[in-house]
Amino acid sequence: MTNTDRPIASSYALAVDIGGTFTDVVLRSAAGKAWVDKTLTTPESLDVGFFCAVDSVLAKAGITPAAVTDVVVHATTVVTNAVIERKGPTTALLVTEGFRDILTIRDEHRYEMFDPQIEFPAPLTPAELTFGISERIAATGEVLKPLDRKQAEAVVAELRAKKVVSVAVSFLNSFLNPVNERAMRDLLKELAPDLYVSISSDVAPLIREYPRTSTVVMNAYTAPITRPYLEALTRGLKQRGFAHDPLIMLSNGGVIGVDVAGNFPVRMIESGPAAGALAATYYAEVLGIDRLLSFDMGGTTAKACVIEDSKPLVTGHFEVDRIYRFKTGSGLPILIPSVDMIEIGAGGGSIASISDLGLLKVGPQSAGSTPGPVAYGRGGANPTVTDADLVLGYLSADGFLGGEMRLDRDGAVTQLGALADRLGTSVGDVAAGIYRVVGESMAAAARAHAADRGIDYRGLPLFAFGGAGPVHACYVADLLESPMVIYPPLASVLSAFGTLVTPPRLDLGQGALSRLSSLDWNAVDKIVDRLVDEARRGLASAGCKSGDIQFQFGADMRYFGQQNEVSVTFDADPRQRHDAAWLRHAFEDAYERLYSFRLPDVDVEVVIWRLVAIGPVAHRDSTPDLNTRPNDIGARRKARFNGHEVDTPVYARRDLARDQSVDGPAIIEERETTIVILPGWRATVDRTGCIMAVKG
Amino acid sequence: MDGIELEILWSNLISIVSEQAKALQRIAFSPVVREAGDLANALFDTQGRMVAQAITGTPGHINSLAAAGKHFVKAFPPETLHPGDVLITNDPWKSAGHFFDITVMLPAFHKGKLVGFFGSTIHHTDIGGYGVGAGARDIHEEGLWIPLLKLYDAGKPNEVLHEIIRVNVRTPDEVFGDLAAQISSGKLACTRLSALLDRQGHDNIETLAEEIISRSETATRNAIRKLKPGTYHGESSFDVPGGDVVTLKTAVTVDTETGSIIIDFDGSSGPSPYGINVVMNYTHAYSTFAIRSCLNPELPNNFGSLAPIIVKAPDGCIVNCKYPSPVNARHVVGMYVPMPILKALYHVMPDRVLAEGAGAVWTIQVQGKNLDGSPFISAMFNYSGGMGARRNKDGPSATCYPTGVAAVPVEILEASMPILFSRKELQHGTGGNGATRGGDGQIISFSMRTKSEWLLNAVTSRTTLAPEGLEGGEPGVAGRFLVNGQPVSSARKMVMQPTDEVMLATPGGGGYGRVAALPRAAE
Repeated sequence: MTNTDRPIASSYALAVDIGGTFTDVVLRSAAGKAWVDKTLTTPESLDVGFFCAVDSVLAKAGITPAAVTDVVVHATTVVTNAVIERKGPTTALLVTEGFRDILTIRDEHRYEMFDPQIEFPAPLTPAELTFGISERIAATGEVLKPLDRKQAEAVVAELRAKKVVSVAVSFLNSFLNPVNERAMRDLLKELAPDLYVSISSDVAPLIREYPRTSTVVMNAYTAPITRPYLEALTRGLKQRGFAHDPLIMLSNGGVIGVDVAGNFPVRMIESGPAAGALAATYYAEVLGIDRLLSFDMGGTTAKACVIEDSKPLVTGHFEVDRIYRFKTGSGLPILIPSVDMIEIGAGGGSIASISDLGLLKVGPQSAGSTPGPVAYGRGGANPTVTDADLVLGYLSADGFLGGEMRLDRDGAVTQLGALADRLGTSVGDVAAGIYRVVGESMAAAARAHAADRGIDYRGLPLFAFGGAGPVHACYVADLLESPMVIYPPLASVLSAFGTLVTPPRLDLGQGALSRLSSLDWNAVDKIVDRLVDEARRGLASAGCKSGDIQFQFGADMRYFGQQNEVSVTFDADPRQRHDAAWLRHAFEDAYERLYSFRLPDVDVEVVIWRLVAIGPVAHRDSTPDLNTRPNDIGARRKARFNGHEVDTPVYARRDLARDQSVDGPAIIEERETTIVILPGWRATVDRTGCIMAVKG
Repeated sequence: MDGIELEILWSNLISIVSEQAKALQRIAFSPVVREAGDLANALFDTQGRMVAQAITGTPGHINSLAAAGKHFVKAFPPETLHPGDVLITNDPWKSAGHFFDITVMLPAFHKGKLVGFFGSTIHHTDIGGYGVGAGARDIHEEGLWIPLLKLYDAGKPNEVLHEIIRVNVRTPDEVFGDLAAQISSGKLACTRLSALLDRQGHDNIETLAEEIISRSETATRNAIRKLKPGTYHGESSFDVPGGDVVTLKTAVTVDTETGSIIIDFDGSSGPSPYGINVVMNYTHAYSTFAIRSCLNPELPNNFGSLAPIIVKAPDGCIVNCKYPSPVNARHVVGMYVPMPILKALYHVMPDRVLAEGAGAVWTIQVQGKNLDGSPFISAMFNYSGGMGARRNKDGPSATCYPTGVAAVPVEILEASMPILFSRKELQHGTGGNGATRGGDGQIISFSMRTKSEWLLNAVTSRTTLAPEGLEGGEPGVAGRFLVNGQPVSSARKMVMQPTDEVMLATPGGGGYGRVAALPRAAE
């Protein structure tokens, strides 16, 4: 990809990432110097925290908003929080008459077979605000029953009477023919212009009525919160004298203009984690590595994502707010392109226990941040991964969070001792056991995730961040036969940094069941034309010139008769090829890669046409200030490796010089995390500021 | 082996079979496998004992697969096995209770020695014979019977068997696609196991398997010892297609001395002339499932944890049927097996059980001609009624227990055949009232867009006898099966006219506990 818009030398770029606890901000000058700050998130009105962080970092750098002539990029949890905390306004759902309980019935699946006490997440729209509308589109796309205007008008009157703020419309087969949904939207615009309206043929024109309806409902539910929020940001930036409207980070690993984001807030759901994956993508490119596994381990969960060909894997469906141990099926499904992230219910706060079978288990219960691990001294009585890390000597009792928080080692030893007694072993063995077990569960999750996607995980370098990621990454890398771990700089504000190196991008799809043996190329051309138009318009809102946009054409395809699809990327524009054999070939290559066989006699079917449109990548490298001369080892402490206490050197990351190498075992401390280099590994400070650990 | 080492190895085994199941589910053709998750995967030791099972699947398959292990080991002693072998059967009495379910076993080798087997059972799209439904008069009408055989011998296809299968099923591409999926996911698991043994420096899984099985057995016996000893009774009656009433009776004995539970179906109904008879494997599968999910859903499922649960039923009764009873739609009765057991367990652990629910999912298959005259046969699709209420929670609506299979989306069905749905929504108030309410059933209405006669094969149940409430809770409302507004009860395929409208109303679940004196606030 070319870099056409290199910012002028005096310009600054700004990135703000609002997470659940902290609002992170990164300001970067064109020369590559970066200023960072972390302020508390203000859940009541997120824009307050946003500007608080912005003002603070500008003051640090001593510049005015007018100097920020490059982008202002924003990742936020506003949408996710609205869903998880059920903070959205009164939202109604209009469906085809006869299908009112679509959200309650779901797909009827009981996601946990063995627990008769199972529950399901409550729909975002209540049953009494779901209305059947007389209309019907057939599976052929033909209109069997046009919208019954009279009946629809009566429903609109009821919506007004019930003080509905936002409306989702999801009609059967609307992805094949949106005419009835559009008629409904127009009627709503006409009779109730103040309502927010989301229609499924706009938000996610894809087959399968339950997840599509769930998607459009989530969009409707979050739009009335998101749109005013984005408007307030845009206004506030303008008033302060910033040159540009903000760009918004989407789940697909791209940024987009506020208009598109405001219309499709559901696309912002995984904004923050996607930005982390994009930071990993950026470093993969800078370091010349085409594949890696980003590994973000925090307090309660870990997230992993495969980066291939300098791009994060993107999936077409996702679940929000899983209520049962991160189990698939226990959340609200959405058909939204999203960085394909695996979420593992294990982190620093995961509690270690002994099962009825006498096995050492870690998680799924977590001590969270309150009371937190025993070592936090806030009343936590259950030993956690963090307690084990402390007892192993990996974490420092005095150096945690730069020394702001003293850790209670004795408390951790006592609680781990209780486990040791029950297992008939020593405190050290239990601590090491917890470290191993949690590493195994990370590796197992990563293996399943990779194998599920037909990726050979072996040899994938790890990109480790998050509070607990760098403590455990070397061990997980060993299990995944990975020869390298990369520890990025600016790790504490990595997601914010990630938004700065994210290209504008839209992922669009259009459902259309069509068999290759009888493909109607006219219809295909129409669909692709429409997707390209929508993508151009969307990327224009992110400031992309038409000529700078790269298109990637693809489809979700399957053998006829199968029920799930494989995502296929084509090497050309299908409108130019008009070649069904070429489509089949692309599908079979992808299919064989995943499953190692082909079925030459079976017809192939396209389920969804897809388009990825990407703008130019911003080259906003940060050149860290690195020491040129190595400092002496500051300290040593006892840490346990392979069953032995070892007098281990401890470095402060900021003291390490460029190209300096450190042999494991060694500990490298930062304010927010600690890097543990295991024996047999050698860590070197790279010119990019990354610490690269390589297995010797 | 200590609790740390064992945890690490064990969790690796579970991760291997889960990976196998994921791969299988993604590549299978059979819609019930892919969209509904109707599959089972497991690892067996060289003695055919199930050691680890994937955390997916359906109870009927998982625990039937567990029982299949010993038959394979008996038929194929280690010295007859070679790398590249693939074993197969669909013998109802040796695996999952009807021909549609084909079990495939791959012997796993490490350093040239047999270390175990990876097995999978999935529901195939077709197996010849009668097709979906309960209408066959004996087992032979139900399709192709594949005895315990090698499908591949040292990597070479058994051409004779391949040819026999190919000409005996209606959908050979799909069946061979699904078999290929079972084989390739099994191979993946064999590779993973070998890598694990290399990584951990083990030659086989003997010690590990022993440790897993014995600890699981001990933990299960200990959990049983905590229960109130005694013999408890439960009985459940329900009507099946054709109108017959089936009664299942159980005497559940909690023996705290040996730490075992004995379930005896003595007194249950005799064999049915329809294909709803259940083989012992399947009865055992759903019985152990009921116990396990109430006892402690977190206990692992393997040979050891299943051993303390003993299931008995008189020879030839409907839940221990004998050759040549037809068994095709055995789920109709099999999925009710947990109900009387739960009623008995109510006296032991009232907080864990649930009231009677709709029971079996209703299954439907149609075949006929498209508007352009070309023929079509649908795959089987299914719909749930309401689950029974729990002591502290309402029962979920339109959700099945004991199975938990998903329904295929309306849009997917409409895209794959000329069916047109006019309704699929809950029938509010069909769940039984009580301190907690039973889940509601749903109404599904459809017709065909065709100019020709078509065949409907609908397997319904509980259309006269509704699910009972528990502890004074009210019963749910029985289901209804109507064609053009007229009630139907047929165990056989029905010839339908082009304009016929079908309506299925699945039953609501039973309530739990007496309704409080005050009316419930409107929801």
